[in-house]
Amino acid sequence: MHKSIVAAIGRRPRQSIITAFTAAALAGAAASPAWAELYGPVPDAPQMGGTLDVGMLVEPPALDPFHQAADARIRVTVLIYQGLFYEAADGEAKPLLAESYEVSEDGLTYTFQLREGVKFHNGKDMTAEDVAYSYNYIRDPENGSPGAGDFAIIDSVEATGPLTVVMTLSEPNAALPMTLGNKYGAVIPAGYFDDENARTAMNSQSVGTGPFRLAEFNPNQNLTLERFEDYWEEGAPYLDAVNFAFLPNSASMLVALRNGRIDVVNLERPQDVAQVEGIEGLVIERFPSLNQKTVDLGSETPPLDDVRVRQAISLAIDKEEIMQAAIGGYGQVITTIVAGLEDRWGVPASELPFQARDLERARALMEDAGHGDGVDITLTTINGYDWMDPAAVTLKEQLGEIGIDLQIQRVDLGVWIDNFRSRQMGFTFNDWATQPDPNLLFFRHFHKQPEGADFRNWNNEEASELLARGRSESDYDERKDIYAQFQKVLAETVPTIMMFSSDHIVVRDEAVQNYSQHPTGWYYGIARTWLDE
Amino acid sequence: MGIYLLKRLGASIVTALLATFLIFALVRMVPGDVVAQMMGQAGGPEAEAALRAFFGLDAPIHVQYVTWLGDALRGDLGVSWTRGIPVTDMVVSSFLVTLQLGLVTLAVATVIGVPLGILAGIYEGRPIDTLIQGFNVIGLSAPVFWVGLMLLVAVSSALSWSPPLRFVPPTQSLADNAAILVLPVSSLALLQVAAYSQFVRQNVVSALQQQYVRTAVAKGLPTRIVFFKHILRNVTIPIVTFMGLILIQILGGVVIIESLFALPGLGRLLLTAIETRDYPVVQGALLLVVLVAMIVNLVIDIAYHAIDPRMRVS
Repeated sequence: MHKSIVAAIGRRPRQSIITAFTAAALAGAAASPAWAELYGPVPDAPQMGGTLDVGMLVEPPALDPFHQAADARIRVTVLIYQGLFYEAADGEAKPLLAESYEVSEDGLTYTFQLREGVKFHNGKDMTAEDVAYSYNYIRDPENGSPGAGDFAIIDSVEATGPLTVVMTLSEPNAALPMTLGNKYGAVIPAGYFDDENARTAMNSQSVGTGPFRLAEFNPNQNLTLERFEDYWEEGAPYLDAVNFAFLPNSASMLVALRNGRIDVVNLERPQDVAQVEGIEGLVIERFPSLNQKTVDLGSETPPLDDVRVRQAISLAIDKEEIMQAAIGGYGQVITTIVAGLEDRWGVPASELPFQARDLERARALMEDAGHGDGVDITLTTINGYDWMDPAAVTLKEQLGEIGIDLQIQRVDLGVWIDNFRSRQMGFTFNDWATQPDPNLLFFRHFHKQPEGADFRNWNNEEASELLARGRSESDYDERKDIYAQFQKVLAETVPTIMMFSSDHIVVRDEAVQNYSQHPTGWYYGIARTWLDE
Repeated sequence: MGIYLLKRLGASIVTALLATFLIFALVRMVPGDVVAQMMGQAGGPEAEAALRAFFGLDAPIHVQYVTWLGDALRGDLGVSWTRGIPVTDMVVSSFLVTLQLGLVTLAVATVIGVPLGILAGIYEGRPIDTLIQGFNVIGLSAPVFWVGLMLLVAVSSALSWSPPLRFVPPTQSLADNAAILVLPVSSLALLQVAAYSQFVRQNVVSALQQQYVRTAVAKGLPTRIVFFKHILRNVTIPIVTFMGLILIQILGGVVIIESLFALPGLGRLLLTAIETRDYPVVQGALLLVVLVAMIVNLVIDIAYHAIDPRMRVS
């Protein structure tokens, strides 16, 4: 049988992918089943059955969505557990376990109508009681959830009917639906955590409402999910099972991919992508992402406490050159917001200060700040983040042009997290991602303490005020304007320099149909995937 | 012999205790604990404190140690903080994988390495010796991870085949088990075959120069008897020592190979447990490593006594 070579690598315009998404969603909306906008485009005539083998480079430490913030955990648990909303790729929160909701005039009371006929993996029906229990659990800091911070805005959650839940907030928050998405927490049966072993029991038995349920989870080996027969969306999912194989290095990942032991994998390093380019039967696709590779500038120590030095650094950086060196061009240079949010929330680069490279101005600023004779700065990078090494060397050269002698210090992730959390990050590379909402992206990181975490000791009044307003505003145009102003402050005073978002690069076997990669990197698309065998 | 054994055992127990304390303290000195790992860039101080208390990390370190040691002496190594599986189960099941890998490698290395070494030793200076020594130099200088990687890539492109991703114990399917182990064992064995044959060669060469061998040859004993009764017997003792050392070396070196070939062995378990700061698993796994190393050394000492009559007197 002749197989055609489909390698759609090249510079694929991001616009076309997003348009494809929207078009599919609209086509689905015409026939208007409620789930048409969820998880990815709904296929016309999917073939049922089969097992999809997915390769994962990073293994989820555990499957508990309430107590694990690890991205590898979220990637897989979105298929098992569900919140009230789905974080659509276009940046809107679409009802998932909620069916509809109303907001009171003052923006403080949300009344949710829940979807009917939803069953948990243990066979019980989902009710409003379960929803109230789940969200009350996560927002109580005593329960030790990393999501507790995001959910602190909620004052109370109550079940007022079998399928009606009322939430009250301490102040209006336009990002509430997105917060009730799938990053932290999920709807689980009421009283679940009463058992003291309940947290780790989630590694052997799932209690969610998602399209797949847990079959087995073997340390350092694999995670197998099986189709949940009682899933509320008729006909979905299409696969019988999904098997995630944990391969800790990309060499064995590429070998397994070539030999058909793996059907689909997300690759991050450009040199890995180059290895599978042009191989018969493998398709390579790029999807925009919500991640950002940044240089963070903690203001706690000199010389970074001087805004002129930070501005000079911003002017000296050539983001395109760093991006090419770091990820071989498989991404997009950004300004003050991640690539996936650019269309909906971005500000044109021409309207932002300190974006275009200007060495003369940068040198003048260094001179003003009293560093005309040069200054030493130490850049922290993290072991295991491949892009950081070439990026660090490139940055060292660029900053050398304005008299900064950059020392590069590599640390382990644990050390780095410690520094970060104690707000002693100094000058460092960072690699983080967000849900598709500006409040969830910016507030915690950049609002001054104690409301925000302000890891970079930025302590900016104007920015904090804008973030507070953006959070309570629900009108899109108003919000967009507020966040545009915020981004201008960010660009002006430089607590962080967002360099680029790397694309999600998906390599899949030809037989894998209708797989799309959500911009978060989470595996929502598998719920819409089918195998042509 | 009895007193000697008791002394050895006593010393071993003290060493083990010391090792557990060191492990306990060291793993806690690594920055960022399990709570920081679980929280990532999210979370707040209250939630962190609650989690820390949940894992008992709020107690002073000596209290934590005494609690752990007390449980460990009763055979309870606790439960993995991330997986919830009893540490004993995790450690034992992954150790079986590593042990199989180690023993098969040892067997392969012995079966190939010892005859090569004897051959090279007997034909010292001849072309066959040069050939074997050449191989030894390559085997000893090629890093294990590089050999593994090259094997994996070479086999994949030549045969369009790569090992199954899911480990299968030999009790379940010998064929699948062999398919999984063939590449990792080959990568590990290359170094050990070279080390073995180099070592055996030296011993044979020096045995050949001993006067008792010359005497035996001079008095007209058949070569076969000289070889088996005089040379081999004397070469066996260092080989047994060496076997133990090699087994420990293999067990120490499997971390890389287990990660490369995605085998669920002890090395990889330890690595992921350290990454997630899963202290009970780190402590349990390292305790096992310490115990195994001690037992192997003890067995070697006892084996000496059995093989070499001179040792029995002292």
